Amino acid sequence: MAHISSENQQIVFKLVYFGPGMSGKTTNLHWIHAQLAEKYRGELLVLDTEKERTLFFDFFPVSLGRVENYAIKFHLYTIPGQIHYEASRRLILEGADGVAFIADSRMGHLEKNIQSYRMMIDNMIDLRIPVDDFPVVLQYNKRDLEPLIELGSIERELGLSPGIPAIEAVASEGRGVMQTLRLLSMEVIRKFQL
Amino acid sequence: MVGATGALISLLISREGVCLSQAGELTSLNTTALAALVAGMFAATKEVATIVGENQFSILLQQGDRRHIHISLVGKRSMMVIVFEDYTRIGKVRMEAKKAGEAISRILEMPVEKAPDEEGEIYLPRFKEYALNLVDRIFRVDEEDDGAHQL
Ligand SMILES: Nc1nc2c(ncn2[C@@H]2O[C@H](COP(=O)(O)OP(=O)(O)O)[C@@H](O)[C@H]2O)c(=O)[nH]1
Ligand SMILES: [Mg+2]
Repeated sequence: MAHISSENQQIVFKLVYFGPGMSGKTTNLHWIHAQLAEKYRGELLVLDTEKERTLFFDFFPVSLGRVENYAIKFHLYTIPGQIHYEASRRLILEGADGVAFIADSRMGHLEKNIQSYRMMIDNMIDLRIPVDDFPVVLQYNKRDLEPLIELGSIERELGLSPGIPAIEAVASEGRGVMQTLRLLSMEVIRKFQL
Repeated sequence: MVGATGALISLLISREGVCLSQAGELTSLNTTALAALVAGMFAATKEVATIVGENQFSILLQQGDRRHIHISLVGKRSMMVIVFEDYTRIGKVRMEAKKAGEAISRILEMPVEKAPDEEGEIYLPRFKEYALNLVDRIFRVDEEDDGAHQL
């Protein structure tokens, strides 16, 4: 749930970029960072480097401005590449307000996407996050590569109710990246309760 | 707390890594990132604790050349971070952290009846409308970004 602090007069929403390793989560954050004007963006912290894809995550704070005397902020996190670590995955999902699931659209990666999504659902259930009513945007990334999995195939495999928002993307070229963030943020705000 | 220990800065952060309050002079410090990372460290440490048969370590101390960090659990959901320079004052830091921690956790763990001003301050429908507006304006989709379409 959103973190409301009356003392600091701020509301922080936590968005998590989830997905299998190498699907393009960090690339999404890099693009968002590059797109946003200076005054909105904090420092992008990328800890999940090529060498150290172990426990840590990427972190990027965004400040939108003030509404009703409250500073509105979005904290973007990615889950680390190697997700053997239950603890780090849980920490990152804990208190999340929404998830952008970044899927790798390459044929042959379907199973990895499915596994990762299932793991996410399991973690959410552990954390008592109401899975059915939770803002999720599904990003089919790497649409520039071939051969590709069909749009809708992940939802079908998982038996997800149709209507979960899905977006095609090529994160390395910035396509679909802002749409994903925008759609997710709007959903998060609509579902926001005090 | 800062006064009593000669600390440079002290932060109260939530387990999710959000800075709840801060005091001290190191305003140049990136406390947003610091809070997120310390929460990550603590989660990792909890795992380490499990491995050695502890439920949780309640204190984490990082000793540097010039600056040191003392991190302690406050209640179940938050942590206090103290950055200080004079290592000989570690005893004082530890004691003050304990005292302040106990006081704060009593407050945090009090059953919160929703403060009336909290509901009064944010009028949800209007808040949402304005916030959606900001998102609409700032998370803009540029020309080159519209190659993909929403399904
Ligand atoms: N061709 C192509 N490569 C991509 C795309 N998005 C990300 N990549 C590349 O995929 C690799 C992994 O991306 P990264 O963001 O580090 O993945 P992460 O593990 O999910 O954070 C990098 O080499 C990216 O440049 C895409 O849309 N198309
Ligand atoms: Mg990454």
